[in-house]
Amino acid sequence: MYKELRKPFQYSRPDFKANGRAAGGKKKAKAKNMQSTLKRLWMYLSEKKGMLFLVVLMVVASSGLGLLGPVLIGRAIDHYIVTKQTQGLFLLLAGLAGTYFLYSLSSFLQSFWMIGIAQDTVQKMRNQMFRHLHSLPISFFDRRQHGELMSRVTNDMENVSSTLNSSVIQIFSSLLTLVGTVSVMLWMSPLLTIITLSIVPLMFAGLKWITNRTGVLFKEQQSNIGELNGYIEETISGQRIVKTFSQEQKVILDFMKKNKRLRESGFWAQTFSGFIPKLMNVLNNLSFTIIAAVGGIFALKGMITIGTIIVFTEYSRQFTRPLNDLANQFNTLLSAVAGAERVFEILDEKAEAKDESHAIEVKEIKGEVEFRDVSFSYEKGGDTVSGISFIAEPGQTVALVGPTGAGKSTLINLLSRFYDPDIGAIYFDGVESRSIKRASLRGQMGFVLQDSFLFEGSIMENIRYGRLDATDEEVVEAAKQANSDSFIHKLPDGYQTLLKQDGSGISQGQKQLLSIARALLADPALLVLDEATSSIDTVTELKIQEALKRLMKGRTSFIIAHRLNTIRHADQILVLHSGRVIEKGTHETLLKNKGFYYELNKGVKTT
Amino acid sequence: MQKVFSFLKPYRIHMVIALCLMLVELVVELWQPYLMAKIIDEGVMKKDLHEVALLGGFMLAISLFSFLSGLINSFYASHASQSFGFDLRKAMFEKIQSFSFSNFSRFSTSSLVTRMTNDVTQVQNTVFMSLRIMMRAPLLIIGGLIMAISVDVKLGLVLAGGIPFLVVFLIWARTKARIYFQSTQEKLDNVNNVIRENLIGMRLIKAYIRGNYEVKRFQKANKELRDKTASALRLIEFSTPVLMMVMNLAILLVLWFGGFEVSSGGAKVGEVVAIVNYGTRITGALSVVSMILMVFARFRASGQRIADVLETEIDLLDHADVDASFLIKNGKVEFKEVSFHYPDSPYPVLNNVSFSAKGGAVIAILGATGSGKSSLFQLVPRLYDVNSGAVFIDDKDIRSIKLDTLRGAIGYVPQEALLFTGTIAENISWGKENASEEEIIEAAKNAQIHETIKSFPQGYQSRIGQKGVNLSGGQKQRISIARALIRKPKILMLDDSTSALDLKTEGRLLHALKGYSCTTLLITQKISTAMAADNILLLEDGEIKEQGTHEELLKGSQLYRKIFETQFEEEKRMYV
Repeated sequence: MYKELRKPFQYSRPDFKANGRAAGGKKKAKAKNMQSTLKRLWMYLSEKKGMLFLVVLMVVASSGLGLLGPVLIGRAIDHYIVTKQTQGLFLLLAGLAGTYFLYSLSSFLQSFWMIGIAQDTVQKMRNQMFRHLHSLPISFFDRRQHGELMSRVTNDMENVSSTLNSSVIQIFSSLLTLVGTVSVMLWMSPLLTIITLSIVPLMFAGLKWITNRTGVLFKEQQSNIGELNGYIEETISGQRIVKTFSQEQKVILDFMKKNKRLRESGFWAQTFSGFIPKLMNVLNNLSFTIIAAVGGIFALKGMITIGTIIVFTEYSRQFTRPLNDLANQFNTLLSAVAGAERVFEILDEKAEAKDESHAIEVKEIKGEVEFRDVSFSYEKGGDTVSGISFIAEPGQTVALVGPTGAGKSTLINLLSRFYDPDIGAIYFDGVESRSIKRASLRGQMGFVLQDSFLFEGSIMENIRYGRLDATDEEVVEAAKQANSDSFIHKLPDGYQTLLKQDGSGISQGQKQLLSIARALLADPALLVLDEATSSIDTVTELKIQEALKRLMKGRTSFIIAHRLNTIRHADQILVLHSGRVIEKGTHETLLKNKGFYYELNKGVKTT
Repeated sequence: MQKVFSFLKPYRIHMVIALCLMLVELVVELWQPYLMAKIIDEGVMKKDLHEVALLGGFMLAISLFSFLSGLINSFYASHASQSFGFDLRKAMFEKIQSFSFSNFSRFSTSSLVTRMTNDVTQVQNTVFMSLRIMMRAPLLIIGGLIMAISVDVKLGLVLAGGIPFLVVFLIWARTKARIYFQSTQEKLDNVNNVIRENLIGMRLIKAYIRGNYEVKRFQKANKELRDKTASALRLIEFSTPVLMMVMNLAILLVLWFGGFEVSSGGAKVGEVVAIVNYGTRITGALSVVSMILMVFARFRASGQRIADVLETEIDLLDHADVDASFLIKNGKVEFKEVSFHYPDSPYPVLNNVSFSAKGGAVIAILGATGSGKSSLFQLVPRLYDVNSGAVFIDDKDIRSIKLDTLRGAIGYVPQEALLFTGTIAENISWGKENASEEEIIEAAKNAQIHETIKSFPQGYQSRIGQKGVNLSGGQKQRISIARALIRKPKILMLDDSTSALDLKTEGRLLHALKGYSCTTLLITQKISTAMAADNILLLEDGEIKEQGTHEELLKGSQLYRKIFETQFEEEKRMYV
């Protein structure tokens, strides 16, 4: 029992000092950070100025009507009930009923509109974030866990959402009440007002102490949630491995570590923010006591009347309530800021370089591609590929051959302009790639990538992804060309068969055929093909080869090739090694040269 | 739902303490006006400065006391709610880890993720709120009514007349709000799903410049989420003004009847004033009611979603009659008349499959795309159970072997090399806890990946992204093989896992495998790989068409001969 009772005090103390130290002189920067985050949030809100104005109007109206009610009640009592005069009471009460109705109406409308504004804002931020994700370079995604990013769009936005729904109204109406009460109090007794206000500095000091901590803790909590989200997503995606290796216990242990971290930061964030209402409460009581005691002494000396004390204690309540609200709102605001900061972090990630201002649209290209002395590295310093030069004539097939890490994928990345060369340039039909709009260039390209990614949806939708406005007939035609029509027909629902997210239900080879169909439908001038490595039975293999032949016909094709068959029929073979083209030519000429390619080939022949 | 509540049990003491501490605060708050009156009556009126100071000091003391209990309340309330959330997440994660694949088909990954984070946060917040503020409002309302009735029964009852409306309205709103919030959470699942799919397929989306299309898809899901959220919140916000209106009308009636009562002498003015006063206090407390309503509606909505996960029946478990002491020693694998279809499709994938592999044997499985090879593989570690027939390991039906024992003896290398975020060393040692550095290197060497890893700037400590995005296909495959080898499995299963390797490397790998005393099942398309096997199974449309050694099949099977010939003429592969 005693052990249980002690538990809430046994969480390891959060180390704010370390945080402060790590930040070093950044304390100011942090405050600035918060300011700029709030400013950015305000920017979103202020787009709805008209609506916000209406909300404010309603807040003013409801506050006014809220005050009018008691006044009318007072009248009813003074003029009718005390005087025992029932005539005219009905009229007054009717007026009161009207007031109440308008009061309810205006308070409903303010919430109604505010929720609209808040949810529109949240929707907009989510959309923006999603759109921005799509403009980020591919390298960004190579570093991130899916679940962690997902958490930002859901869990972090949730924080922003719940705060915006109510805080704006609360903050505004609290301020309004505050100003109102303080004016009345000043009017009644400036001296007692000053005494009442004496708790304000205490309040600020206390609030600062608390929010300095909660600010950090909220941020930590959100990032812990993100991490946990990432871990959950990854282990569920990888269930097949977890299960077959029967590593459930290990995974659970790892999960528990992250879960524990979330509990720690959550506990402290909640505890500290729980201090705020308590602090306000004690200050409230304090001012009450001060007024009673000091007021009592003043009254003894005849400086004020007892009535004034009573009125003042009432008002001091009136005064601390909005302060209390403000303090609480400030705290929720902090949790929203913690969420928003993580959202803005993504929005501030540098997008893929923009198209040059003079970049042109290309409508149709013949398909001549030239690499002129291209060098590139992913990180500054090292060379991933260097000094690459070659020309591909329209309609040619260029095979890229070489060991892992030779730079084949990098060349493909440069070709599709996921990256631009550091030195040298790439020309399409003689036009430098940098002066062509990215989207219009990619529009001319078709892709068959190694992992034939399929979306959750029907087979029809998945093929149509190659060209969204294709008719059903065109989709079927493409499927036929890609030799997939026959297996699709064998599936229970034909083209309407739903594919699951993990692609279960159809085999790897079938997936490849579908992605070829997708590329055929796109009908591109340039083709980028990362030949799938997974081996496929001879019959399907032949089907794929046949489909590819159809696909490559009349298009300039770049292939990362693994199959001798594909390589042999290429018009040009680039043999890459350590980021350089070491040999270039056709199958026959390269064999005759007896160089690296010959050696590679021998490796095949000997088995 | 009951299940979710049961997670609160261990924290009963903490919750009771938190509630008691809250009561202390409430008492102090109500005591203050009384003491105040005393200061005036006893001190000021009697001109007793000492009394003023004494009572003032006492007031100060009890308010500090209430502050202290408030702070402690924070600790207890946080502990109860955070631990509740912690336990829920733990229970859900453990449950999910025990899900079978057909259990998984009931929930999408993104929905499970939302349930474990977002939904748990919702219920956790509810607990925290109820331990701190929620009780106040109902207490105030009930207390106010009792006081009003005790002042004047008739007028008090008029005031109480509003209460049934309140109750009915609240019950209606609660049910409705729960439904609204439940669909809000479902919409959140959808949003999550679109994001997840986009993150996985980003390369393709970029390549096909389908960003705008995807953005539209997201916007649709997002708009639905926005609309559902807004209407749920608006329903809640609608309740406060309605409730206030009802109570205010009750006050009006008190004034109306009060007027007559007073004029007829049935009631005193002071009594009417007092009752009106209680009425306005109650109205003031109502503003919190809508918040309570929301928090509880969300609790029910999210709680249900959590309970759905926790109450899922696991359909693939250790049977009651498992032989816990059984150990796999030999690694003999035998299929007896096995038929199988996936749980959500009526189409059979495997039909009457029988074969046997002696301990230490190498079995190659060949077959067309979609012939059922990978499905056959999944039955060995019991990712699915057979529909008829049985699988035996060391002559024991695998359904009577403990799952942990069974899977512990298997090294499985799937077709798609699924790697996890972390270092390469972590990924390899994933197959075996507390693997030493030597073991890791040995496994990597045998998987023919040691040299490659060494050439990375950070060697074994190089970090890889989710699913190993920054490695090539061949590298991923070999790491995933190393992960299986480090377990020194009795049964090694390679699902076309050497496809991205050049023949030299593959040859070295297969040679290295001979050093492991295990039964090897391998799916392959390369006759050259199959040739070395003790037994080759030719699978077609879920049935075994032929089986035998390379020589036997070359003589006896036309199909095999055809594959052999085409491959040796055409199909050659080169470097990756």
